[in-house]
Amino acid sequence: MKARIGQKTNWPVVILLILGLSTIIFPLYMAIVIAFKQPSEMTNSISGILSLPSSWSLSNFAEAMEVTDFWHSLGNSIMITVVTVVLSILIHSLMGYAIGRNRAHSKFYKFVYLFIVSGMFVPFAILMMPLAKQTAELGLANWAGVIILYVVFYMPMNVLLYSGYLVNIPIALEEAAEVDGATTWGTYWKIIFPIMKPMHATVAIITALAVWNDVMTPLIIMAGTGQNTLPLAQLNFQTQFGTNYNLAFASYLLALIPILIFYVICQKQILNGVVNGAVK
Amino acid sequence: MKKKVIAVFLVLTVLLSMVAVAGCGSDSSSDGKTEIEIIQYKMEATDYFDALEEEFNATHDDIHLTIDSPNDASTIMRTRFIREDYPDIIGIGGDINYSYYVDAEILADLSDWDGMADIKQSYIDIAEGLETIPTDGTYIAPYMANAAGILYNKDMFEEHGWEIPTTWDELISLCEEIQSEGILPFYFGFRDTWTCLAPWNAIAVDLAPADICKQVNRGDATFTEAYREAAEKYIQLMDYGPDDPAAYGYNDACTAFANGEAAMYPIGSYAVPQIQSVNPDMNIDSFVMPANDDPDGNTLNSGIDLGFCVTAACENKEAAYEVLDFLYEDENIQAYIDDQNSISCKEGDYELASMLDGMTEYIESGNMTDYQDHYYPSEMAVDAILQTYVLNKDTDAFLKRFDTDWQRYNRDTIRTVQEYEEEHGSLEE
Amino acid sequence: MKSNKKRTYLLITIPILALFVCFNTIPLIRGIVYSFTNFKGFGTYDWVGFRNYMDLFTDSRIGGSYLFTFKLAIVATILTNVISLILALGLNSKIRAKSFFRAAYFLPNVLGALVVGYIFQYLFTYILPALGEMVGSPTLSQSLLSNENLAWFAIVIVCCWQNIAMNTIIYISGLQTVPEDVYEAGDLDGATGWKRFRHLTFPLIIPFFTINMVLCVKNFLMVFDQIMAMTQGGPAQSTESISFLIYNNGMKGGAFGYQSANAVIFFIVIVAISAAQMSISSRKEEQL
Repeated sequence: MKARIGQKTNWPVVILLILGLSTIIFPLYMAIVIAFKQPSEMTNSISGILSLPSSWSLSNFAEAMEVTDFWHSLGNSIMITVVTVVLSILIHSLMGYAIGRNRAHSKFYKFVYLFIVSGMFVPFAILMMPLAKQTAELGLANWAGVIILYVVFYMPMNVLLYSGYLVNIPIALEEAAEVDGATTWGTYWKIIFPIMKPMHATVAIITALAVWNDVMTPLIIMAGTGQNTLPLAQLNFQTQFGTNYNLAFASYLLALIPILIFYVICQKQILNGVVNGAVK
Repeated sequence: MKKKVIAVFLVLTVLLSMVAVAGCGSDSSSDGKTEIEIIQYKMEATDYFDALEEEFNATHDDIHLTIDSPNDASTIMRTRFIREDYPDIIGIGGDINYSYYVDAEILADLSDWDGMADIKQSYIDIAEGLETIPTDGTYIAPYMANAAGILYNKDMFEEHGWEIPTTWDELISLCEEIQSEGILPFYFGFRDTWTCLAPWNAIAVDLAPADICKQVNRGDATFTEAYREAAEKYIQLMDYGPDDPAAYGYNDACTAFANGEAAMYPIGSYAVPQIQSVNPDMNIDSFVMPANDDPDGNTLNSGIDLGFCVTAACENKEAAYEVLDFLYEDENIQAYIDDQNSISCKEGDYELASMLDGMTEYIESGNMTDYQDHYYPSEMAVDAILQTYVLNKDTDAFLKRFDTDWQRYNRDTIRTVQEYEEEHGSLEE
Repeated sequence: MKSNKKRTYLLITIPILALFVCFNTIPLIRGIVYSFTNFKGFGTYDWVGFRNYMDLFTDSRIGGSYLFTFKLAIVATILTNVISLILALGLNSKIRAKSFFRAAYFLPNVLGALVVGYIFQYLFTYILPALGEMVGSPTLSQSLLSNENLAWFAIVIVCCWQNIAMNTIIYISGLQTVPEDVYEAGDLDGATGWKRFRHLTFPLIIPFFTINMVLCVKNFLMVFDQIMAMTQGGPAQSTESISFLIYNNGMKGGAFGYQSANAVIFFIVIVAISAAQMSISSRKEEQL
């Protein structure tokens, strides 16, 4: 752990990380190989599954894109994910702030905190039927309803994250600004919101990932609208009595790329956190 | 302060505009035509139904038809029902959900549809049998049926000169023979619990009364007695499968059978496309599970794979019937059979898929019995109970559990049946 | 000044809380109402009073699912937290190709359940038994997924494999809040290795430890995707999780009312546990 201060690369850690990586490379290798194979190349033997495909043709990927109406579904998925993430960062950070700054001394905020966080443990299955009914009554049986539900579903987790993060941000920062005459609201957007950047990135990743892979919410809310998200479209590969794993794997690998890019971008934000500087 | 107002305003605008966008954009394609919407659950037949939809709309000026074959149709149907946003026609299988829908009074009586006269009586009987308590009407138009028995590798059988068994003893001696040649007689994929039901159904229809579940509901029989022989034979079959049947999934089993790792696979005809995706040249045929000791006692395990129900909420039944007439046109039925290896529920001379050759005799004579599991409530998880049985091989415990669990999960049904009995006398006609 | 501040906080809280109540609490209450009926999920239903709740206590499947779920949650929470903390420290230290490693270790979280299910099923059905035979261990040469006593551990492995990524991210973002000068001061005192972690780093990332514990407990107690992808509750119903039963029997099957009652009890149990957990860790936070 000394390397943090010294400038030398910590080789033992690198080697351990490479070893640990094998638990990821191996499944990934299997996924890639299967995505390129044809159904007739599938076997139940170890050598068969690990062998390279007979040809590196991209036909599976092309067909998978066609079956899922890729660009269209991708567009829907991206739209829903981006709007949800932006709204989550704005709304949940505010809520986290209001709670984080008050729950230590106010019974009301402590209650609100526990109330919202406990929402995390409501099994989705019990909400499904009532929500399907309620969203339809409100005219929200579409992507807008899906986004609103996501903002509500991920609120408990994100409020937990934000209010936890605030513990490490000294209150002195706000007090100094308020002495200068800034309003609480202004202080929040000028000082606190930017400081929480690493947490925004974390929340963005966690929320985006959950939304990106979610099947159930769009399935029950958007049923019958003719709109598909990627995970919904990917259900096309699984029928009751048969699954085309080769196409499915190709499709999942394709769906993995956008979210991975998003992760790498957010990761930079986590690293470039400004807290270290601010605390001094 | 100004900034605050702006920010609150922005968030509100976003939320409101979302509601607004949501409000409009709903269906508005009615240019005087009657809209008929079908939701059907056979996603694998999407292409067939897309083509039908197109053809129908091209030839009909007064009706506009939409056929939706969604992923996870059962969830979507339930969602639509709870929203009270009923499609006009639903395409479902003839299983316990159909019984529930009849009980829930969401389906319309189809007795006045002319096409009903052309449907094979055996399938209408199967549909009537599924109703919890007898009703006056008919609520489903059986469209296609499937059959389950034993799929076998035809080339392998011909090569070794094996004969198709017609009794249980013949089946067992065939298995012994196959085993002695170093070949695995059966493959099972019991990690996917639902596949445990395939051989079970096929054996149980031969050995237990077809209406055993109803008899139990009336309090006239117990599974412990009715299922004992089936249970014993079921477990006997395990000796001729892989050592650890619960280790393999459906997909593993299909792949293994396709690659010639086993001579037979006890599953329905629905598995053939998956098997052929691995080995397109494979020669597959099937035969009826010979669980009875008397060849005449055997019956084909066949049920309604797809049937159409008009919902009670459908506003234009005439139009719905016109759509049904179109679906039941002979060429459309033949196209479905070619596409899905199915068996038609309509009377007529259709050309069946070759892997059903071994079952033709039964199909033509109408010697068919519905799947036992079409009467099992899914939450009772009979498939998991069977998997447990395969693992611990305790017949008495299995039968006892079947009876106690049945009482627990069917309490409301049993009450309905017994109340009906008190009012109407015995159910037996 | 002070009241202005209070008003701002309230102006923030009330609308958001209203949104939450509208789309979480109200549907939950509707769900609770169904738990007193024999509702199937559609059609008509009757009121059955507390029958569903009474039945829960005599249902061995429900009991089994609670045992399995909690066993899984405890073991998986511990394993995930230990491994991801080590991983976060490693990824946060001075290493080459940091971005690559971080992206690579994130991958398990992104792969869809179908892919994860297929690969791990293959691993447990074919690859591990082959290794087991090579080693000559009879337990290992059987598939973990067909072994009633060990299948739960196969689920633990998959759960950890998928969740470590997320916990690691949270630990990494926690480590970012540890100021450099703390380490510098520590170095002067000669604190190194485990000692430095125990006394300098860990106390500062306790809030993140709390978050991770809560998230783990949430993810693992509500485990569902992994079960569907791997075992569907088998072998011999040994891996039926509570969420699996609620979904499979309530949504897919006809026992919606009964499983709503199960969901209500489950909710109360987790809230009680989390409340206890949070009050313990917040007391710890204050101590440190």
